[in-house]
Amino acid sequence: MNRKLGFATAAALCVLLPFILPQYTLTITVEALIFGLFAMSLDLMVGYCRLYSFGHAAAYGLGAYSCGMLLTHLQLPLPAGILLAVAITVLIAVPIAWVCTRSTGVSFAMLTLAFAQLGYAMLFRFKEFTGGSDGIDGIPRPPGPFGATFLQSKLGYYYLVLFCLFGSYLLCRTIVRSPFGAVLAGIRENEAKTRALGYNTRAYKLATVVLAYGFGGLAGALYAPFAGFASPELFFWLASGRVLIMVIVGGAGTLIGPILGGAGFLFLENQLSQLTDLWPLIFGSVFIAFVMFAPQGIWGLITSGFERSPAAARGPGGAEAPGAAS
Amino acid sequence: MDFLGFAVTQCLNALSQASVLFLIACGLTLIFGIMRIVNFAHGVIFMLGAYVGYTAIALTGSFLLSLAVTPIVVGIVGMSFERVFLRRLYGRRDGGAYLMVTFGLAVVMSEAIRLIWGAQPLGAGIPDFLRGIVLVFDQPFPLYRVFLIGLGVAAAIALWQFLERTRAGLLIRAVSQNSEMVHALGTDVDMVRTAVFGLGCAMAALGGALAAPLVTAFLGMGTTVVIDAFVVVIIGGMGSFLGSIIGSVLIAFVQVVGAYYFQELALAFMYLLMLIILVIRPGGLLGREE
Repeated sequence: MNRKLGFATAAALCVLLPFILPQYTLTITVEALIFGLFAMSLDLMVGYCRLYSFGHAAAYGLGAYSCGMLLTHLQLPLPAGILLAVAITVLIAVPIAWVCTRSTGVSFAMLTLAFAQLGYAMLFRFKEFTGGSDGIDGIPRPPGPFGATFLQSKLGYYYLVLFCLFGSYLLCRTIVRSPFGAVLAGIRENEAKTRALGYNTRAYKLATVVLAYGFGGLAGALYAPFAGFASPELFFWLASGRVLIMVIVGGAGTLIGPILGGAGFLFLENQLSQLTDLWPLIFGSVFIAFVMFAPQGIWGLITSGFERSPAAARGPGGAEAPGAAS
Repeated sequence: MDFLGFAVTQCLNALSQASVLFLIACGLTLIFGIMRIVNFAHGVIFMLGAYVGYTAIALTGSFLLSLAVTPIVVGIVGMSFERVFLRRLYGRRDGGAYLMVTFGLAVVMSEAIRLIWGAQPLGAGIPDFLRGIVLVFDQPFPLYRVFLIGLGVAAAIALWQFLERTRAGLLIRAVSQNSEMVHALGTDVDMVRTAVFGLGCAMAALGGALAAPLVTAFLGMGTTVVIDAFVVVIIGGMGSFLGSIIGSVLIAFVQVVGAYYFQELALAFMYLLMLIILVIRPGGLLGREE
């Protein structure tokens, strides 16, 4: 009951946020929400399957580039462009996931990294198509379906992103609390045992990777028309590293934690990088401290009430068993 | 143009590149073999080697002396990392924690290097006595690259002999096979781990100090190189010493040939090779599948 109240308050606050915050912060707020969505998509892999992806930027980049190209060349209505971009990302994710799930652990991390770097290299190879190092510039926001211009304003876009974030969160929460999510938890805790119980664990992992790419692609597809450009940096390994940091610091395996982590990270980066050039040093150190002493992340610390539970020693994802909440 | 001379110089070029790659990759694979740790910070250690090497040359004025000092300094830095950060994680069941701590270290260290040495690339310059050119089939070839090949081969042989012939090498191989048994027989396994981590870092630092005169020390040199080194190690098989040699040579050839014939696809080539090998043999050429 308490949780539902908190959720409703948070939702109401988010809806009213543009009227509380000063106008100039709206841009960074939208970007923060998009990053929250991006971090949550990675949490599906990291927190629920213990699949550490070092190349999740590929999902974001794929979504951003395909959305950018669809809008620039085909002048599709914005929602159609975004949905189609997600579909393209999912389609490309299937073979990638098929290869990556052949291995686990370190090899998985490196394979995902290799695919992201391969995408990065491809952008330079097919210059005439992707714009090379310049990326795609001047991505328009064509009027929505039936000539609606609502989404062309910044405020309208804020609500679109908010809608996508809440929708994705509810969808992901349903997934991780379903029997499907229970199998994922089984894979996370002991894959061999889960396989021995008769589950085709690779198929589950493959589905999770594709899902994570889908939601990551949605985040990228929302970003491109908002920023108006897509650059190869979206694919770069540092982008993948940043989102992984957001997930771990926020709290892997909690969905909400990474959303807060992603949004908070972007806010802090925006504020602090103007004040001090020590910002990367600070977030790197904070990240190390979290991995070493609080692997359950900020949200894990909050929900466990700072008590030292045995879950804390189990590492990321062990903080909250899916389905146990509410 | 004389095709034979061209082909031979290209091969030598690849081999000199393989030397530097091997120096990084062998440390990575050694550390993984003994500790099951994937050291993501290895590229930054390599970069640190380049910067420390630059400073050592500036202070002592001797290139050879810097090659001796740099591995020692960086090796000590590596050992203290192992002591302070990694040791606390050994009890953790989850291997991802190492990956993430070393990733965090990579971020912090590259920032620290930027603060200490500044953002400008630093060129140490090739020392005078290695600045010449040798003629290979009437094609000019830089002497420094010959020196690199020689040193790479020497390092590979020395490390191999060390692992195979000495008591310390025996202990290292024993720990990689069954650390609990070695511990039960009265060896300080933690000490072996610290030493191996330091040795791996020292090798990478040597690579960095050697690469600095060629490419100048610049921020970000660590990130490109760590991915290359990972590809090498994954192709060769995690934890396999011989695999890291084979992988280095393969990748160096792919890079040199790719850079000459298909400039924009050179990067893609490397990853394609890795993907193909991993699909056929998920554990790498000489590795065991986990």
